[in-house]
Amino acid sequence: MIEPSDNLLLNQSETISSNLAEIIPHINNLFSDTSDLVIRKLTIKQTGEKAILVYLDGLSDKTAINRDVMRPLQFEAGSGEPGDELIMTVSQIVPVTSWAQIEIALLQGSSVLFVSGRSEAYVLDTQGWPQRAIEDPQLETSLKGAHQGFLETGGQNIAMIRRYIPNRELKMKRVIVGRRGQTVVTILYLADVTDPNLVSTLELRIQKLDVDVILNTGELSELIEDHPFSLFPQFVTTERPDTAASQIMQGRCVVIVDRSPSVLVAPVTFMSFFQNIDDYSTRWSIATFLRLLRIFAFFVATFLPAFYIAVVSYHFEIIPMKLLLTLGESRGQVPFPPFVEAIFMEITLEMLREAGVRLPAPVGQTVGIVGGIVIGQAIVQAGLISNVMVIVVAFTAICSFILPNYDMVAAVRLIRFILMILASLFGFVGLVVGLMTMIAHLISLKSLGMPYGSPLAPVRFVDWKDTFIRVPLWLMKKRPTSTKPIQEMRQGNNRLKEDDL
Amino acid sequence: MTSNTGKSITSMQYIFIISGIQVSVSILSLPRDLADAAGTDGWIAIPIGYILSVAAGFIIVKVMQNAPEDTIFDLLSRLMGAWAGKCFALLLGVYFLSFMYDSLNRAILITKDWLLPNTQPYLLMILLLVPTYIVAKHGPQILGRYSEFVFFLSIWIPFIYLFTLENAHGLHLLPLFKEGVLPVLSAVPAMLYPSLGMVTTFILYPHLKNKEKAPINLLISNSLTMLIYLYITIICFVYFSPDEITLYNEPIVSILKSIEFRFIERIEVPFIAFYLFIFSLAWIPSAYIAAFCISWISGKKDVALPLQIFCIVITVSSFFFLPTFNQNDRLGLWIGWLGISIEYVFPLCLLVYIILNKHFQQRTAL
Repeated sequence: MIEPSDNLLLNQSETISSNLAEIIPHINNLFSDTSDLVIRKLTIKQTGEKAILVYLDGLSDKTAINRDVMRPLQFEAGSGEPGDELIMTVSQIVPVTSWAQIEIALLQGSSVLFVSGRSEAYVLDTQGWPQRAIEDPQLETSLKGAHQGFLETGGQNIAMIRRYIPNRELKMKRVIVGRRGQTVVTILYLADVTDPNLVSTLELRIQKLDVDVILNTGELSELIEDHPFSLFPQFVTTERPDTAASQIMQGRCVVIVDRSPSVLVAPVTFMSFFQNIDDYSTRWSIATFLRLLRIFAFFVATFLPAFYIAVVSYHFEIIPMKLLLTLGESRGQVPFPPFVEAIFMEITLEMLREAGVRLPAPVGQTVGIVGGIVIGQAIVQAGLISNVMVIVVAFTAICSFILPNYDMVAAVRLIRFILMILASLFGFVGLVVGLMTMIAHLISLKSLGMPYGSPLAPVRFVDWKDTFIRVPLWLMKKRPTSTKPIQEMRQGNNRLKEDDL
Repeated sequence: MTSNTGKSITSMQYIFIISGIQVSVSILSLPRDLADAAGTDGWIAIPIGYILSVAAGFIIVKVMQNAPEDTIFDLLSRLMGAWAGKCFALLLGVYFLSFMYDSLNRAILITKDWLLPNTQPYLLMILLLVPTYIVAKHGPQILGRYSEFVFFLSIWIPFIYLFTLENAHGLHLLPLFKEGVLPVLSAVPAMLYPSLGMVTTFILYPHLKNKEKAPINLLISNSLTMLIYLYITIICFVYFSPDEITLYNEPIVSILKSIEFRFIERIEVPFIAFYLFIFSLAWIPSAYIAAFCISWISGKKDVALPLQIFCIVITVSSFFFLPTFNQNDRLGLWIGWLGISIEYVFPLCLLVYIILNKHFQQRTAL
């Protein structure tokens, strides 16, 4: 049986010939039906040798080739002795001998220079592929944070993080993943802070991957996460360099996947999904308030529809009389049981949301109108759905929008449906057992071997400084213990004394 | 990382596991049982029972200090031969399995009684066994985290009970020793079943992070249990009239009927549902320990298989038969006696045996 993309490895050890007449057919053979391959023959003025330059059109920077390769080779005068060092003004020249290396280099945008009579070829750093400019992050907008988001080029993403941490302890591990895709995956961490076990575990998991290609960080995270069947995301993906840098400073690893505009943070805890970079740039009191608001919103977004179903279908005796009358009035005309009502509204909402995401912006507005006016208002007037249900669903939706992490919101959406079913079958008992199962699951989850429930289960009071509340920065002298950092202290005493004021 | 360091239990988790097993289901009927035996003097039995259980706890720890890295079964096998270890494992397994079944049964009966009278009991059983299986199969570490988390989650409950004090009559408690000391002493056995659970130390001890703190932790957990019992019992005693309290099966729930907030009436309904969390502190650790005992007998490390068997058997059996309140009471009584022999008498005998054994070994060594 032929393994996937095995043909790439066939000529692994084959070395190049020194005869140009043999090289050109070989290249043509390797890259048959490759119309963007350019083979340029030239004579080197410096040594008088014949040479060919090969590159892939579009993947290479043509200006650089013309200016820094062609021009010096053809016009600079040299010793005239064959075999001399060639003068070129490109930044990196790597001599290689095997066809396998040449193939990879060409496919990654370098150009390769073959010189007649030499048994090595030169890989020239002339990479230049289509790129977009740095923009504001799309998913994680921030009020006060930086307005730079990651790009599709791994090297630039590393640079953006390095701008925040110009320290030689910021180390990298590079792993190439994917037989066909050859994706460069880089793990960034602080060598004197991050637990070395974490880095080696992460590296090992990535090295073990045997896939065709990794196109996106999401794919990588799904392949290396601890519990693939869990509903909860076990790694944070972020598109913000400042968030990534802050996570590295807390002793975590950041994984950059080349060609993907988001990076992966590991290990994370459940509570990291409620943190946001703005928490640290606003005053601690308001940051605390927002933190609590998010946690409240999480519970509302998960439980409210289920709670409503449970109360209305099983436990209406707990509702005070006046409220019960209002509810009864609103529900009086509705022909469906609360569960059907709720499921119908929730699914409609999910559809509206999905439609809003996929549709182009100008058409997207129509969805809002259809959803808001037609469905929202008409359905109540028609007596199909009760007013209260619409309020419940709308409030739930708003609460789920408050959560700062998309992956967590997605999990919440699914859990909400499960809880709604439980509540419709067992009332409060279903709700409580649902919560119990969720807790049981959360505390047994691990992210890269570290407890996911920390600092709540296991309880680590030291870390509570940045969990439900965000204490003033000068109080957070230690890094979070959930990552088991080698170096615990992260700052000295920054509290101004009376005298300094 | 070795598997042992990854499975350690912190002191706090240990405290909460023990308190959790003790408090959970038994708190429901404790005030009534005490009142049955000794009227409103019943609460005096709580500190007496407390002293007994602390003493028993210390004996258990003392026994375990002879085998800090092993379970009790390894210790027994070493002392008296493999058969002793296996017999005791079977006995402890049966004890905890029945403890688990009893508390599950009680939780389901109460749920059916208060919340879901028309639901089939086996459905509730399946429902409750799902989180049980998830937690128990992960072993002591997750067990500890669960107990700890549930304790923090329930920390608000005692404050709700303060609202009942509006209608309280402190005079119900006076005078002390109305009928003399004897009725109080006769209430002490009622305290023994609610104090059971310390024997989990036999299994959990090798997993403890700070073994030298184990006696202190046991003392703390027993004190915590006693405080909770005292608090609840006294509140029930001052709220209900001395004659009325024995009429209620779960006075601790019935008492909530008097509380009413603007935004919620009948607060006992969500309360009972939430109590399932606290009840689960009894059957989840028991499920793990029972499964551990069985897997120890068969010489395997994995508890998942025995757990699955338990879950299936219990579910199927509840499809055909579930004990009623009275049958459950009788089961509880039976477990109580078994528990007293396992938790109070057996450790004492074992300790004496170990001491004598050491003594004679030294003698023969001379």
